Amino acid sequence: MEMPQYDPNTKPEFELYTIPSHSSWFRWDDIHETERTALKEFFDGSSISRTPKIYKEYRDFMINKYREEPSRRLTFTQVRKSLVGDVSLLHKVFRFLDEWGLINFGAVSRGDDSDNRDSSLGDTELKNQVKIEEGAPNGVRVVALPNSLKPISVPNSGADGSGNGKVAVAGETGVKLPPLASYSDVFGDLVKLKGFKCGSCGEQCNSGCYEYSKGSFVICEKCFKNGNYGEDKSKDDFRFSDLGGNSLTHGATWTEAETLLLLESVMRHGDNWELVAQNVPTKSKLDCISKLIELPFGEFMMGSAHEMNSCPTGSLNSLKEGQSASSENQNDVKMEDQVHDQMNESKQNGDAATEEPPAKRKRIAPLSDGGSTLIKQVGGLDSVLDNLEHYQTFLLMDCSDASFEVAHISTMVGPHVTAAAAEAAVAALCNESSCPREIFDGDEDYLANGLSSPTMVSDPERALQVDASKMEENQSETQDASSEKNDVPLNLRIRTATATALGAAAANAKLLADQEDREIEHLVAIIIETQMKKLHSKINYFDDLELIMEKEYNEMMQLKECLVEERIDVLERALKTGVSKWRS
Amino acid sequence: MKLPATSSSKAPVKFRMPTADNLVPIRLDIETEGQRYKDAFTWNPSDPDSEVVVFAKRTVRDLKLPPQFITQIAQSIQTQLTEFRSYEGQDMYTAEKIVPIKLDLRVNHTLIKDHFLWDLNNYESDPEEFARTFCNDMGIEDPEVGPAVAFAIREQLYEIAIQSVASAREIKISKKGRRGAEHAISSKGGGNALDLMKLFRYNSSVVRKRKEWYVYEPIVDILSNEEVDALEAREDRNTR
Repeated sequence: MEMPQYDPNTKPEFELYTIPSHSSWFRWDDIHETERTALKEFFDGSSISRTPKIYKEYRDFMINKYREEPSRRLTFTQVRKSLVGDVSLLHKVFRFLDEWGLINFGAVSRGDDSDNRDSSLGDTELKNQVKIEEGAPNGVRVVALPNSLKPISVPNSGADGSGNGKVAVAGETGVKLPPLASYSDVFGDLVKLKGFKCGSCGEQCNSGCYEYSKGSFVICEKCFKNGNYGEDKSKDDFRFSDLGGNSLTHGATWTEAETLLLLESVMRHGDNWELVAQNVPTKSKLDCISKLIELPFGEFMMGSAHEMNSCPTGSLNSLKEGQSASSENQNDVKMEDQVHDQMNESKQNGDAATEEPPAKRKRIAPLSDGGSTLIKQVGGLDSVLDNLEHYQTFLLMDCSDASFEVAHISTMVGPHVTAAAAEAAVAALCNESSCPREIFDGDEDYLANGLSSPTMVSDPERALQVDASKMEENQSETQDASSEKNDVPLNLRIRTATATALGAAAANAKLLADQEDREIEHLVAIIIETQMKKLHSKINYFDDLELIMEKEYNEMMQLKECLVEERIDVLERALKTGVSKWRS
Repeated sequence: MKLPATSSSKAPVKFRMPTADNLVPIRLDIETEGQRYKDAFTWNPSDPDSEVVVFAKRTVRDLKLPPQFITQIAQSIQTQLTEFRSYEGQDMYTAEKIVPIKLDLRVNHTLIKDHFLWDLNNYESDPEEFARTFCNDMGIEDPEVGPAVAFAIREQLYEIAIQSVASAREIKISKKGRRGAEHAISSKGGGNALDLMKLFRYNSSVVRKRKEWYVYEPIVDILSNEEVDALEAREDRNTR
C-alpha cells in the first residue's frame, strides 16, 4: 500500500513508497479515468492485444519492478524484455507512468522536473547537464581592448558554473572590465606625446617633428634641417608640428581640435565628405566618416546638418553662430585659468581696449565661415596665442554684454544640439580620468566654472546673474592661481577645459531630459489613475444595477407564487362546485 | 467463430511504412575505382526527386569522394525510391501483426544484438524514438548508433510491408472468398507475426517467464580495435 506522504521507507507492516500527490488517484485494483484517457488504445477494443487486463498487467509489472529498488532509476529497456507486446506501446505506458511519478519518482534521476519527462530522455540529458567549461570557448580569444591583439588570461575565479571564463565577471575577480567599444581615451593622446620616431634617421622626435603633408611621414627637426627629407619629398611638403599640438596623426588618433574641426565641417557640409575632408586637413575622407560614426553624437550632427541645409540661411547662420559662440563662450569661461600669463601680458600690453571691438565684431558678424575659421584657428598652433588674446579680451568685456549674448545663444541652441551635447556628456563623463585634475590644481573652481556654463545654456534669466557673478569670481581667482601652471602646455589645458566644459554642459542637459521624462511618467500615471477610477465607478454602478435587478426578480417570483396560489384557489372552488368534466 | 471486428478481417490499407513518418530506408553500397562507399539513411519519399542529385553532390563534396560517385549514388537512391513508390499504390494487409524485430548490427565500435516485438498496425510507432531511448538506457555515447538502430528497424519493417503487399496480391488472385481470405491472411501473414490469439488470451499473462527474459534482452558490446578490424574483414569477405 502506498500513501502519498513524504516520509519514505519506514517499515511498520507496509512499505511506504512516495508518489506525487497529483497521482493520488492511483489504485492497484482499479483503472482510473486518467489512465483510460491517456492510453485509449487499451480501452477501445480495437485489438485483442490491447485490453484493459493487459494494460493492468503491464502497469503493475512496471511499478513493481521499479519498487524492487526505488532508488535506482528504472529504464524502459529493463522492462520491455520482460513484457510481451509492441515496444512502442510499452514505451507509451512506461512514459505515462514516469510522467505521473508512479515510477522513478524517488530515483536518482537525470532530470528532475516533471516537465522534462515529457520530452524524450535524450533531451532531458542535454538540458540538465550543464557542462562547465573552463576558459573561453575554442576560437574565442579574450583581449583587453577591442582591436588590440593581446589576449588576457582568465582570472581564477571559477566560482560559478556559468562561466565562460570571460573577464566580464565584474567585481568578484578583481580584474578590470574590458572597456566598452565606445570607449575613447580623450586625454590619451595628450598624455603620450612622446614616441614619434623620425622616418629618416630613426630617432625619437622629442621636441618637434615635421610632418609630411601628403602622407604620414615624420622626420625630426634635425633631419629637416639637414635636408634628409626622404625620397621624393621636398622641403615645402613638410609642415612643422610641435609635439603637444597637431602632431603626427595616423588617421587613428584624433585630437580635440581636429574633432572640433570635423564637427564644424559636418555641420556645414553635411554629407559632402569631400569638403569635410578638405576642412579637416590631416584626415582623409574615410577617417572623417569613421570618426564621425564613432562619436556618440555624430549621427546627430549629420541629421542636423541636413536640417540646416534645408533651412533658410538666416536661421542657419544664427544657429551656427549660436553654436560657435556657445563653444567659444564656454572656452572663454573655462580657459581663464590657462590664460593667466597672456592675460597679464596683454593687460600690460594695453591691447585690451583695441582688441575688444574686433573681437566683438568677429563674434557678431554672422558669417558662415566665421565660426569655422575661429575653430580652425584653435586647431592651428600659430593662432592659438592670438585666440587666447581674443578670448581674454572677450573676458574683459562688459559682463552684462557677455551674459546677454549667452542668453541669446541659449535660446538658439536647437534641441538637436542639446541632445547631442547630452550624449557627449554621458560619453565624456564616462571617460573622465585624472588628467584634467592633475593639470588644473584649482579643480573646484574649475568645476564651478564648468557648471556656470550649463546653467547659462539652460536658464537664460538665471544665467544673467549667475554668469556675471561667476565671471567676476573667475577673474579674481585665476589671477591668483597663475604661477603654478606654467609647466603644462597651453593647448593641453585648452583642450581639457573645452572637453570638460562640454561635458558638464551636456550633463546638465541630460538632467533636464531626465526631469522631463519623470514628468511625462508622472502625467501618464495620472492619466492611468483617472481611467481606473472611471472604470471603478462604472463597475460600482453596474453592481448597484445588479442588486436592484435581483430584488426585482425576487419580487416577481413572489408575485408569481401569489398568482399561482390564487389560481389554485379558483380551481378548487370551481371543482367543488362540481364542474364535471375537466379538460385540461 | 466470430472474430472481433477489427481483427484480421480488416480492410486493406494503402501501402506505407507503418511508422509515424513515412520514411524510406535507403542503403548504399557503391564501389568505384577501389573506393567503397557504404551508407544507410532514411529518405522522405515526398521530397522532390531533384533533391536526390543535390544530396549526392553534397555527400561527395563532404566526404571528398571522386566525382564518379555522384551519378552512382543518385542512381542507386533513385532506384530504391522508385521501388518504394511502386508499392505505394497497392494494398497491404496489416491486420494485427506483431512481428519480432531482431537487431544485429555493428556501428563503429559498438555491437548490438536485440530482439523485440513491433506492432505493424501502430502507425504512430517511431523507430527513431525507440533508438533514442535505447541509446540512453544503455548509455551508448557514440552518436552514430542511434540512427543505425532506427535504420535497421525501418529496413525490417519495410521488408515486412513489402511482403504483406505481395501476400495481399496473392490473396486477391486466389479469391477464395471471404472466409478463405481470412484464413489465408491469418495463416499467410502470420508467417512472421505472432499468434496473437495465443499470446493475448484471457487467461495467459503478458509477462514473460523469467527464463525467457534473456532472449529479449539487448546486448551491447564495445569492441576493441582488433576485433573491429577482424569483423570488418569478415564482412567484406562475406559480401564479395
